[in-house]
Amino acid sequence: MTTLLRLLVATLIAVAMSGCRQEGPTSAEASAAPSNDRPLTLGIAFETLQTEYWVAGYEAIKAEAAKRGFKVLEAVADGDANRQFEQVKNFITRKVDGIILVPKDAKTCIPMIRAANTAGIPIVLFNRPAAKSDTRSVAVVADNVALTQATVNYLVAEAKKSGKKHKAMVLLGDLGDINAVGRRDGFDAAIKEAGDSVEVVARIPTEWNQEKAQSGVVNALQANPDISFIFTSSDFLFPGIVSALKGAGKYHKVGEPGHVILGGFDGDATAWQMLSDGYLDATGVQDVYFEARQSVQAIEDLRAGNPLPEIILDPGFVIHQGNAKEKAAQMWGANLRKR
Amino acid sequence: MGSEPAEAMTASSTNHEPRTTNAATRLLRSDSLVLLLSAILFAVLAPFTDGLASADNLANLLGNMAPLLVVAIGQTLVLIAGGIDLSVTSTIALTSVVGALSMSADQGWLGGSPIAMPAAVLIMLALGAVVGAANGLAVTRLQMPAFIVTLTSMMFLSGLAVWLTASKPVFGLPATFTVLGSRLLFALPIAAALAGFAHLMLTRSLFGRWLRAVGFNPRTARVSGVPVDAVVLAAYIASGLFAAAASVLYTARLETGSPVLGQRILLDVIGATVIGGTSLFGGRGRVVGTVFGVLFLSLLDNALNLLGLSHFSLMMVKGGVILLAAFLDTARNRWLAA
Repeated sequence: MTTLLRLLVATLIAVAMSGCRQEGPTSAEASAAPSNDRPLTLGIAFETLQTEYWVAGYEAIKAEAAKRGFKVLEAVADGDANRQFEQVKNFITRKVDGIILVPKDAKTCIPMIRAANTAGIPIVLFNRPAAKSDTRSVAVVADNVALTQATVNYLVAEAKKSGKKHKAMVLLGDLGDINAVGRRDGFDAAIKEAGDSVEVVARIPTEWNQEKAQSGVVNALQANPDISFIFTSSDFLFPGIVSALKGAGKYHKVGEPGHVILGGFDGDATAWQMLSDGYLDATGVQDVYFEARQSVQAIEDLRAGNPLPEIILDPGFVIHQGNAKEKAAQMWGANLRKR
Repeated sequence: MGSEPAEAMTASSTNHEPRTTNAATRLLRSDSLVLLLSAILFAVLAPFTDGLASADNLANLLGNMAPLLVVAIGQTLVLIAGGIDLSVTSTIALTSVVGALSMSADQGWLGGSPIAMPAAVLIMLALGAVVGAANGLAVTRLQMPAFIVTLTSMMFLSGLAVWLTASKPVFGLPATFTVLGSRLLFALPIAAALAGFAHLMLTRSLFGRWLRAVGFNPRTARVSGVPVDAVVLAAYIASGLFAAAASVLYTARLETGSPVLGQRILLDVIGATVIGGTSLFGGRGRVVGTVFGVLFLSLLDNALNLLGLSHFSLMMVKGGVILLAAFLDTARNRWLAA
């Protein structure tokens, strides 16, 4: 036991000394050297890397930060808001010069934003805005309403070309998610403008769940076998839609007889594959590269004290059979597929 | 450390072995091993890790430890009694949303009332105790394996928490409540008091001796007149209560009642407990060991994160360390039995 105690004491002394060494240069450096002499550090905290979209965003931000000379610290909370809070506090301890955050939801991120505000560190939310509160942050998000409306407008124009009346199905996301609500509103606005050429006969609440989406689509196709127009609020639900369409013998390429007009949102790798194979009419692409660029830019602007709006909108773009080749380079899903 | 029977058995089995083995065994069986490992980890990483030794970070570390420690102590008690409680994470989520739904200014039925905060905390604790009692009764009365009982209650409670809130987090908690989590001054004494209480109960009370006896060998304990079922039931109730207390700290810290709160910390809870020397086979374990286990795991998380290690490497390191601790527990158990 005495050996053990001696070892422990020795270690503690070593720790104390290393602690002193640690503090010395750091504080000297901070007071002597202006901050632009050392590389700026950016903390990137993602709630999850579970879907392709987040991985693409993560990579795009890291690349953009590296391009602008930031040193990057990364953290993924694996869906645990408390862990994310600890990670953000770690960033603050490391005295990072900016934090880019993908929160679990609009509310649990508020104490994190407050901690960053107190420490005077600029914080930017990537793709998910925070709920209204007394805290200060900037969010870079897709213009869900406008982009969905533009995408559905394209689908409606295609539908009108056929000259016949179409019955439509829409897959809605989790309506607790502001992104899902925006996409629903964009869809509804476009359909309203379409007049009576498109009639919505099925609205599937998926709650962002693939299994629910697939069974919903199967049921809707059974109830309305003549559905010929489907829009999904996210591309990641396409595998279920395709399998249901195949099961009903309704999966045909654009231009073939019996083709069901298909549209989506996100611009993921599956959508790109379906687009290049000729099955998908159009999808609204969130411009991950634009969002990454804007997020890092916002950190730089906030550091420089430039005024910024609370929300920076990514207009995105509609990719469709007509412009697929020229827009492919901007579509994150196409780049994922290439890799 | 450990129970008297275990002590006696080691003494007889190690008496004839060479001195080095004796020292190694002692070190291996000592609580201080994990403290020593934590100190080494800290000493090795501090020079390379910006900010690890800073006062701010040490405060963060303590703040991170507090709620994890509380839930791990509950787990320690159940493991000592020879059971396991996998439902603690869902107990945290359920008590979080029920507490928040009671006191939230936006949607709570007690919202705005001056008694909202204490009432909500009591409701959370009571609910934790009810969950623990249900688990305990299923294990003792229905003779069901603890593993399947608590695994299914984990699913059920998690579903219930999501259903109650329609998967939306609950906001607008009173400041008198959120301060419990955001101020170290409150969170730390709460965790320390609970740890001190559990430690005294385990080392100084008859219940503590019963708990170890039941975990070590329930049949012998029953023959010796220990009320085995009541002891096991009490251990599960304690686990539920401690999980609810941890939920108070977690919920207060995030200022939000969340139906997915704590969903991912099960391995941290059981890992910290086992790293701290509590046996997965029952009968052995100490609160001090769990404190060190929580310290070690929190430090590992904190340091690797500060080092900027990627999420995946962090998961691999943590998984490896917990696996190693479980291996040591198995080895220890075999040597003691030999």
